[in-house]
This record gives sequence, structure tokens and C-alpha cells, in this order.
Amino acid sequence: MTDDAGQVAATPPPAPGRSRRLSDRGLAVAFISPALLLLLAMSVFPLLWALYLSFTDYSATRGGRAYFVGFGNYTAILTSAQVHQRALTTLIYVVGAVTLQTVLGFTIAYLISRRTRGRGLLTTLFLVPMMLSPVVVGLFWRFMLDAQFGVVNSMLGSIGLGQVEWLTRQRTALISLIVVDTWQWTPFIMLIALAGLTAVPKYLYEAASIDRASEWFRFRTITLPLVWPLLLIAVLFRAIEAFRLFDLVYILTNGGPGVSTETLSFHVYKVAFLGFNTGTASAYGILMVLVVIVLSQIYLRYLNRLKEG
Amino acid sequence: MAVSVDEAVSTGPARDRGRPARRRGGRGRSVLEVALLTVLAVVMLFPVLWMIETSIKENRDVYAVPAEFFGFTVTMEHFKDVFVGPDGGRSALSVAFLNSVLVAGASTVLATLLGVPAAWAYSRFAVKAKKDQLFFILSTRFMPPVVVVIPIFLMYRQVGLIDSKLGLILIYAAYNLPFTIWMMKGFVDEVPSEYEDAAMLDGYTRLQAFRRHTLPLLVPGIAATAVFALIFSWNEFVFAIFLTSSDSVRTAPPAIAGLIGGTTTDWGLVAAASVVFALPVLVFAYLVRKHLIAGVTLGAVRR
Amino acid sequence: MRHSQRMDRLSAPRRKVQLATAAMLLMATTVAACGDGGDDGATASAPKAPATIPELTKDPLTLSFIWFDWPPAKALEDFANAEYTKDRPNVTVKVNTVPNANWHDAMFTQFAARKTDFDIAILDSQHIGEAVTNGNILDITDFVKNNIEVDAYNPYLLAAYGQFPQAETGQRDENASLYGLPLLGDTWTMIYRKDLIGDKPPQTWDEMISVAEKCQADNPGVSGLAFHQANGSDAAAVTYNTVNGVYGGNLWDPKTRKIDGVLNDAAGHEAMDVLVNKMKPLTAKGSGNWFIDEVNAAVAQGKACIAFNWIAASGGLLDPKESTLGSTREQILDKLGFATLPSQKTDLVPLGGMGMHVSAYSAEANQVEALNFMKWFQQADVQKKWAAAGGVPSRTDALSSPEFLNAGPFNQVYADSVPRMRDMWNVPEYARLVDIENTNVNAALNGAKNPKAALDDIAKEQQSVLDSSGRKGGGGL
Repeated sequence: MTDDAGQVAATPPPAPGRSRRLSDRGLAVAFISPALLLLLAMSVFPLLWALYLSFTDYSATRGGRAYFVGFGNYTAILTSAQVHQRALTTLIYVVGAVTLQTVLGFTIAYLISRRTRGRGLLTTLFLVPMMLSPVVVGLFWRFMLDAQFGVVNSMLGSIGLGQVEWLTRQRTALISLIVVDTWQWTPFIMLIALAGLTAVPKYLYEAASIDRASEWFRFRTITLPLVWPLLLIAVLFRAIEAFRLFDLVYILTNGGPGVSTETLSFHVYKVAFLGFNTGTASAYGILMVLVVIVLSQIYLRYLNRLKEG
Repeated sequence: MAVSVDEAVSTGPARDRGRPARRRGGRGRSVLEVALLTVLAVVMLFPVLWMIETSIKENRDVYAVPAEFFGFTVTMEHFKDVFVGPDGGRSALSVAFLNSVLVAGASTVLATLLGVPAAWAYSRFAVKAKKDQLFFILSTRFMPPVVVVIPIFLMYRQVGLIDSKLGLILIYAAYNLPFTIWMMKGFVDEVPSEYEDAAMLDGYTRLQAFRRHTLPLLVPGIAATAVFALIFSWNEFVFAIFLTSSDSVRTAPPAIAGLIGGTTTDWGLVAAASVVFALPVLVFAYLVRKHLIAGVTLGAVRR
Repeated sequence: MRHSQRMDRLSAPRRKVQLATAAMLLMATTVAACGDGGDDGATASAPKAPATIPELTKDPLTLSFIWFDWPPAKALEDFANAEYTKDRPNVTVKVNTVPNANWHDAMFTQFAARKTDFDIAILDSQHIGEAVTNGNILDITDFVKNNIEVDAYNPYLLAAYGQFPQAETGQRDENASLYGLPLLGDTWTMIYRKDLIGDKPPQTWDEMISVAEKCQADNPGVSGLAFHQANGSDAAAVTYNTVNGVYGGNLWDPKTRKIDGVLNDAAGHEAMDVLVNKMKPLTAKGSGNWFIDEVNAAVAQGKACIAFNWIAASGGLLDPKESTLGSTREQILDKLGFATLPSQKTDLVPLGGMGMHVSAYSAEANQVEALNFMKWFQQADVQKKWAAAGGVPSRTDALSSPEFLNAGPFNQVYADSVPRMRDMWNVPEYARLVDIENTNVNAALNGAKNPKAALDDIAKEQQSVLDSSGRKGGGGL
């Protein structure tokens, strides 16, 4: 490929016309194909391999031949009560976290957009959580949410409230997971909402102000419709990310108490690396990828429409 | 056009400006808004402050109940422990930091080298099914890492890339490539192709025109894109924990995660390591604040 | 390049065909590749180590271990580099450490890769079955016969850290194969506050609970008990297994491979009831995710009357820098007592600790060196030095030596516990069995599941894991 690129480069200044277009195509291929090859090797090929394994009972450690089990893995997964439980947990988590951070993120953006001074500083400060590694976020919240010596309970105690078992009760553990994710990703929604809010043309408000329209009416009829498309993109994006959540669970609750905060990703990990049931894990993964593909297709379609519109 | 934080700050519709306080409760409402914003800011920033505070506390004070906010003895021991091992040599954490620098750096360079030319080609040439290709590229980035890691693991063991820095570099490069292409395509689109056309009329080849006229204009964009790729691979955890196992290869995120779960947890050290680990990212994020929106949406949203 | 050029021009339906063809081709190659790769493990028996140690290399060599990150790992590395190198100056010993939560995964993913960056794997005793069945570690039966004084050990210690199939509790089957040798012995110790409950430790489990109850009532802010409850590693599972043993229960019937009906018999349910309804209420609020370090922290902060922890993990308790119980080791020891576990219907205690196993995939020179190290390590005087360096030896003479007994206040506890030990199941499915038990016991402890239902679920799910071989798909769910 590099040779080809070199040849293209070495071509003497061309006569305009046909041959130049050819060299353009050569260039395009030479420039695009290395990137595509890497993606094919590191994304597509592994996925196809996983697709093949998903029809077998292959185990990465036990060795031996892999036998075809048809759709056995898929039917087992789709009918497993264990999987349904994880799917429900994941759904609650995704809906809860994304809703919360959308509301909060939009509120913060709206409040910031109404300030005239200190907006740059405020925005920058609000963005800090988003830049941290999930490992750091998980460890630190685990420390802060500790029932005995964590600072959160300490503060609750000083205003006369009792200790809350943040990470060890079924309900609070899932809520904690949602809260921590919200803490980290509210800035994301805020950032995008802020971009939308500041792009609303001023004259629209001025016109509305002449009409003596109420604040709420202006918000509903001018602000929201204009910000909504961008906000929806942010929401979709977060939903995809939240759906594949793994690291926060791994560090914050390890899926506990019991299995009540095990997400689908975490369950796949257990199938793949505890029992080394690689075939089952592959089928599980493929099913998750299908969900992601559907979500990301909606995302991309929508993004496309937005760009054209 | 990319909206930066700075622009957002300066060009917003300043609706409040100069508006007479004729509306009832206008001022009260404004006070309320400021108060609400302050509360939210405190809530969002408190964990970070608490992390910094814990990193300079003695371990005894770390466990104090009720929590000590002020008046504890300040110590820099934990920061020393991040870099210096108990035997006086380099600590395992500092080795992990170096590994992170190497892996994140090399994978970023690779992603940039492959991604920038591709972005330019997608921007300039009529490639067949361009839109499909671009969307395919972006969607590879959406795959759940836990799922991808299974076949990657099998593939790496065939070619001997398990527990090697090269293995991590390759997977991070592949992980960052979609982002690099999308982000860079936006930057290339903003450079008028007429410059290149003009240069080609002067007898330059397309490639020379790219090198002489377009590339210099792209440098700031490339820098911003590279910084985001750097941040992604710097923070990455899932591939790192499943594909590496030895101290000499392990990057910082699994190393920091490994600080808990021994016989005692030195929370001061965890905090200090987290602060040290987060600092470069915050500095970098500040440097690319103009491109944050594009950066965090994989280059998909630019406005 | 030509490939992608062609793809560019393909129309949608043709692209699909192309993709399908590519996928089929790929499958064919993968099947072939798997077939090739599969042969080495298909017979599923461990390769044999030589009976006598061949000639050792004179070139510089690094002998690598893998263990999880805890003080004994550092102790082993320092000890080996100080002592073993006296015999073998060209050797450097390196103990790679991984986070505890990642320990099993880190070893077995490397085994799966058929390439390990360690020569000696320090396996948990229950990992042996999985490693042997996969052919990951060397069969050292003949090597042991020729090089190790087997009579110098309590037979069960040799069996627990080396024998497969698993030995009966307390015994060793001399005809069974050996795959490892003991490295570090361990069991639970009861840690109690002498200043709060008196010098004499409770003798029975029931007494222990009532003492803890009284202590908690008398000392506000101090909870009666602290023990492992987390759902990771083997934390909650070991806790339940310990109570189960003490109350006369059984984990399974190894001969018939029966768990359902054995684990959840009357004794098993009584143990679960004691754990969840009598012991758990005496623990600190929010202690439902505690493991080794949290229990240690609670003791060091003076927040527990009676605690249970692994002996090998208890050294940090005597460090005044981490403790609020005293500013010197002696002051701390005035307040902390270490005792063997109370007994009830039986006096069983959990077997902890780990053995050394030679990776089947490391280079031959390294395997030979590893065998030589193991032989060296099991000598009487070396075992005593290991004891003095903070390790827990396995040879009976070392266990009764002053070097060992004086090295730590809990070492007498270990020596007294040796004849009382019981291990979990050592089968290839161990990782799944322990996860099922961990998550369910953890759920019961934290009110996410009714204790009776949790125990029945454990028995049912574990049984289905043991029985699942030959199922058509969906294994591991």
C-alpha cells in the first residue's frame, strides 16, 4: 500500500483530465485502506469469529474440539431467567441514569446560559467529572459511600439522619450506581445542551418579548424545540454507553448485593472468564451487539437527519 | 462550526443584559438561580475536592468518624508512595504510569497516522458508499468492550499478543480510529478544497497540494483530535484488565484498581494515585476545551 | 487494498453476499485453527515432570511466580532472592502480583493462551482441578516420590495443595497423583478484644455469638462481629462453609457428586440460619461487602469485638501506623487476642493458603529451575527460615519450631488448626460453584434473598453446574 502511495506521489505533474482522476482514486484507496484494514482486523474479524463461536460449545481453556450446538446457546440465553434478571437491571439502570442526567444536565446548562458572568469558569468546573477514568470514579465513590466511615453518611449523620447502606442493599446499590454514573455524565448532557441553548438566535426571544409572551411559553415554544434535537443526540449517545456499562459495576459493587447490580456486560464477563464458557459468552455478546447496533443505527440515522436538516 | 466553551460563553443570547427589572420577582428569581447553580456546582465538585483532601491526610484521619474536613495534619507521604516503592526503588504504580504514557502515546500516534489521511480522503474524494463506510466506521466504536475482548483475547493468544504493550496499543488504536476519522473529517471539511485545486493547477500533484496547503492548516485540529484519543486510551480499563497481567505491562487504571482488595486498603494512596493520574487528563482537557463537544461525541456532533 | 476498493463499489445486495462468503470462509479457517489448537488439550491430562531434576542452567535465569497482591507475595520474593540465590546465584526470583479479584482470571487466561509469563503458579487449592483437567500444570507425582520427604508433613496438607482428584477431608490418598506442593498454609483465626471480652476466648460457636452480643451492647459504637461477606473472590462462600462445617453440615458428597440435598440438609439450613439471623445482626451496618481489608480496618479502628480473618492477612493488624488500638506492637497485643475458631458440633476450620504448581507452558530450563526451587523450599531448615521471614510453612517440624511460633501471635493458632481443616470442592467447575455460593450467601446476608431460599438456590444451581456436561449450548449461564 505504501508503495502504491509512493507511486502516486511520484507521478509527474499530470496533464489534467482522466489520469488525474485515476490518481485521485489511487490516493483515496491508499489513504483509506490502512485504516479500514485495522478496523477489519481488530473489530470485524473478531466479531465474525465470535459469531462463529456462538454456535459452538467452545471453551477457551478446556481446549478440545468445538462442537456445533446450532442455536442452542442463543435459545438458552434468551430463555434464561438469569439473563432476564440482568436485562431488567440494565434497563432500570439505563433509563434511570440517562433520565436523571438529562434533567440535571439540561437544568445546569439552562442556568448557566442565563448567567452573564463567570460562564467559562463554571462550565469548565462542571466538566471535571467527565474527564476522570471510570476506575478513579468508581474507587472514589466506593470510598465516599462506605456505610461506616464514608463522608456521605458522615454528612447525613451530622444533620441527624441515620446511616444508609449505599452499596449493600438491593435498592440503594442500584440507586448508587445510577447516582455515580449521573455524577460523571451529567456534564456531558450539560455541554451539549449548552451548545444548543447558546445557538438559539437572539431575535426569536426579542420577538417573543415584544409579544409579552410568558417565560414558560418562550421556553416551550422557542428554546426547547431548538435544543431538543441536540439533546436527543446526547441522550441516545449516553444510552448506548450506559447499556454497555461494565467498569463501574466491577469496582463499585462487583454486582452485589447478590447479583442485584449485575448488568448484562458484567454477566457476559462472568460467563466468559469464570466458567470460560466461550461459546455461550460469544452468543451473549452477539446478542448485546445486536442491541447496540439497533441503538446506534437510530443514533446515526438521527444524526444524519440533523446534519442534513 | 464547532461551538467551543469560549464561544458559548461570549456569543450566547444575553437575555438578561439590560433588561429592566420590571418583571415581578425577576431579581428574586435570579438570586434563586444563582443559589441553585452554586449548590449544583458544590455537589459536582465535592468528590474531587474530597479526593484531593484525602490524598494529603494521614491514614488514621482518613477513617475518622465524623469525617474531618479541616484541621487534620497535612502529609505528602502518599504522593511519595505513588512514585517510590517501599524498598526505595521505583514503585509498581510509577511503572504502570510509564506504561500508560507509552501505550496511550503510541496508540494515539498510530490512530492519528492512519486516521488523518483517511479523513482527508473521505472529505475530498467521491468514495463509493461513503456515508455507509463512515457510519460503519463509527459504529465499530459502539461495541461493548467486554464483548469485543473475548474474540480479541482468542485472536491475541494465537499471535502471542496477550500481556504485551503492542497488543494494547493495537486495540486502543483501533478503538480510537473511528473517532479520529470522524473528528478529522470535520476539520478537513472546514478547509476549502479550492486551495488544493489551485495548487494542482500550478502543477503540484494532489498529494503535494495536500502536504503543502492543507496539512499545515490541519495541525491544530490534529492536535485536538490526538489529545482526545490520548484521553480515551489513558482512561481505558476493560481491555487493560483482561489483556494484561504482569507488572511490566500493566497500565495505570488496573494498577490503581489493584490498590484495593489486599489485606489493608491505603485510601490515602488510592486518592494520591487518582489525583496524579487525573492531572494530565485535566490539563489536556483544558487545552482542547474549544473542541470538547466534538471530542466527547466521537466527532459526531460538531455544532 | 484491492479488497477495499472492490467493497467501495459493491451495491448493497452484492455486498451482503460478499459478507456472507467472507464469514463462511472465516468460519472454515477458524474451525481448522481450532482443530489444530485443540489437540494439545483434548486428552486433558497434565504433562509429567521428570522424576529427578535434570541439570540446571548456568545462564542467568528469572524464575517467575504469579500470586495476588498481598504482603506474603512481597515476603516470598524477598525471602527467595535472599536465600535461594545463595544456592543458585544466577537466578533472580520475581513474584508477579495481580489484584485479588483478578487472580483466577489472570492465571487461567494465560493458561488459555498456552503461554505464561510465570513458571510457578500459586493456585488456590480449589483451582487444581481446573488446571489439571485442562493440562495447565505439571504432574509431579514421580518428582515428589524421589525428592520430597512426604512423611515430614501432615498428610492432609500435602493432599490439599497438590492432590487431584481431591482427597477426603483430613487424609491423603497415596495412590493419587500430585500436582503441587504447599507454599503458604493458612486458616481463619478468631481475633478478639481482650480488653472488651476478657482474656479467655469463647470456646463454642454459640458462646462466641452471645459474648459478641453482650460486648456490642456494652460498648456503643463497637459491633459484636466482623467477618467476610463480600460477593467477590471466595469471601462470603468461605464464611458460610465455615459455619456449615462447625454446625455439622457437608458441602457435597464427592463420591456421588451430589450437592442438592447434601448442602441444604437440616444442618446446612441451621448453619445458614445462624449466619444470617444470629451473626449478621451483630455486624456493622453496611458491612455486607466486607472482605479481608475491611475486616482488618474495622479491627484496627477498634470497631469490632470479635473478628474472623485469614491468618496470613492479619500481620497488618499489629502495625501501629494503621491502628488506633495502640502506638506500639505491644500495646496493640494487650488489646488483641488471636485464637482458634470456636467449635460447635464439629471443630472444622476452613483450609486456606496456596500451593506451588509448575506451568506446563514455561520454558524447559525454567521448569527445571522451578522443580529445583520446590525441592529446596521443602527442606527443613529452609521451611524454618521461611517461617521466620513471615511465611507459614507446612512441614510438621517447622510448624512446631520456635522460629515459626515466635514469629507472630497467630502462628500458634495455625499450628493448632492444622488437624481441623476442611477444604471446599476441588473440581474444574470450582470458579462457577464459588460464584454461585458467593452471590447467594451475599444476597442472604444483605436481605436480597430469604436465607432458606438462598441455600436451596445454591444447592440447585451448583448441582446443575456439576451435571451440565453434555448439554447442548448455554453452558455457564
